[in-house]
Amino acid sequence: MRLYWELAKCGFRRTAIYRSAALSGAVTNTFFGFLRAYTFIALYQTRGEVGGYTLEDALAFTFITQGMAALVAIWAWWPIAESVQTGQVAADLSRPYDYQLAWLAQDYGRALFQLIARSTPPLVVGMLAFGIVLPTDPLTWIATTLSLVLAVAVSFGWRFCLNLTTFWWIDHRGISNISMLVAVLFSGFLVPIAMWPDGVREVVYALPFASMVAIPIDVLLGKLQGVDLLAALALQVFWAVAMLTLGRIVLAAALHKLVVQGG
Amino acid sequence: MGLYVTLIRAQISAQLQYRASFAIQAVGQFLATFTDFIMLLLLFQRFPSIAGWTLGEVAFLYGLGGLAFGISDLLCGGFDGLSKMIRMGTFDRVLIRPVGTFAQVLAGDVQFRRVGRVVQGVVTLGFALSLLDIAWSAPKIAVLVSAIVAGAVIFTAIWVIGAAITFWTVETSEVTNVFTYGGEALVSYPMPIYAEGIRRFFTYVVPLVFVSYLPALFILERPDPLGLPPVLQLCSPIVAVAFLLVARVCWAFGVRHYQGTGS
Repeated sequence: MRLYWELAKCGFRRTAIYRSAALSGAVTNTFFGFLRAYTFIALYQTRGEVGGYTLEDALAFTFITQGMAALVAIWAWWPIAESVQTGQVAADLSRPYDYQLAWLAQDYGRALFQLIARSTPPLVVGMLAFGIVLPTDPLTWIATTLSLVLAVAVSFGWRFCLNLTTFWWIDHRGISNISMLVAVLFSGFLVPIAMWPDGVREVVYALPFASMVAIPIDVLLGKLQGVDLLAALALQVFWAVAMLTLGRIVLAAALHKLVVQGG
Repeated sequence: MGLYVTLIRAQISAQLQYRASFAIQAVGQFLATFTDFIMLLLLFQRFPSIAGWTLGEVAFLYGLGGLAFGISDLLCGGFDGLSKMIRMGTFDRVLIRPVGTFAQVLAGDVQFRRVGRVVQGVVTLGFALSLLDIAWSAPKIAVLVSAIVAGAVIFTAIWVIGAAITFWTVETSEVTNVFTYGGEALVSYPMPIYAEGIRRFFTYVVPLVFVSYLPALFILERPDPLGLPPVLQLCSPIVAVAFLLVARVCWAFGVRHYQGTGS
């Protein structure tokens, strides 16, 4: 256990080295937040409330998603794929730890740094610029924390599987583009899933991608209460377990393929 | 110019060697911007219009901006890779060749897979035109064509200025992304939705208003709530050339200050 704690700290520090990248990333996230916020302000001049989202909700949604993109690494995360390409993976696999858990621990370290460096600044700027108010109820924040922890697990499980595809296809750029599209679209990153058309909405909400972004945001905005909240968290637990299990199966298959050149 | 064509032809034939990989990446590039378009459709099934602009009219802005950006990204993406050239020391090689540095970097990294973005712009523009009932005339066609070319030139000038800054910073500043990728997002919506400061900046400092908004006003015969002189709607090519000249001056200044990283 202690080993994984150390690995998590290691993941935090490794991400923290790129401080200027984090800063400029936060600036870009904030800028896009402003563009999207102005779009919502103009759109809401014609409607008061859409799918349970008021303008205030939509603005909060905008700046939270801008911050969450880096937290759940929705755009690009390919360190395992790169270790397969360089051959480093052979050394990592022979270490005395659980390969998947070791990466998961490091990913939590990475996520914690991104929460501080990338998620918080856009939200704070957005709150100041557009008067966004977040809930003060402690229960909401406890549920949000839990939901974020689960969101990172689901997203990691998904990225772990994607990375392992490099055992079969060396070049991950094509997979990268297409998987990013799927994740960005179905996570409810761009438009709240609550605003999607009836029929489609329920399906999208049940997919693993909603568990990465949409559910934690709805929890934070207080859209999910009581039984609905518990059901949403249960769905996240389900996807976290399912994705991590799938990752183990893919890893086992990949190890059958791995041939290490000696010398 | 002849050199530029020769260099590009060599790169295209090199990239087409790996056909499957090329096809997947081109499709990926097509889909990358497709999410934004789906977002637009999702929003417009819930909201009737934005600042008085209908779906067809906003799609027209989207198509114009996307096409201009796509062309620039396809033909002039080399400037995005300058940071790597400086870090690896390969820019020194550019300096000792008896050809201008500008043309060499321009043609240095033409990723033909980015044709996917251009196709996406064309598709979006086609979609917009199918929804709109435009009374076409010779001046309108001239404005449309010149706006696409001018838009590509304006985006290229931004890449060039961003690249010129890397002569001092070495790392590509992510701030450039705010103006390129962020710029593409910005010009996809009607200008009046943005706050005054943002509007002024993107009119008088970085002239993105000339990429889509002003030409679209002319072609769609819409009134301008911003009250800019109507003659500006025809001025995109002039502004683009002037802005490119500014970029060339920045470039020349940057090259003169290039010192190498010593690596």
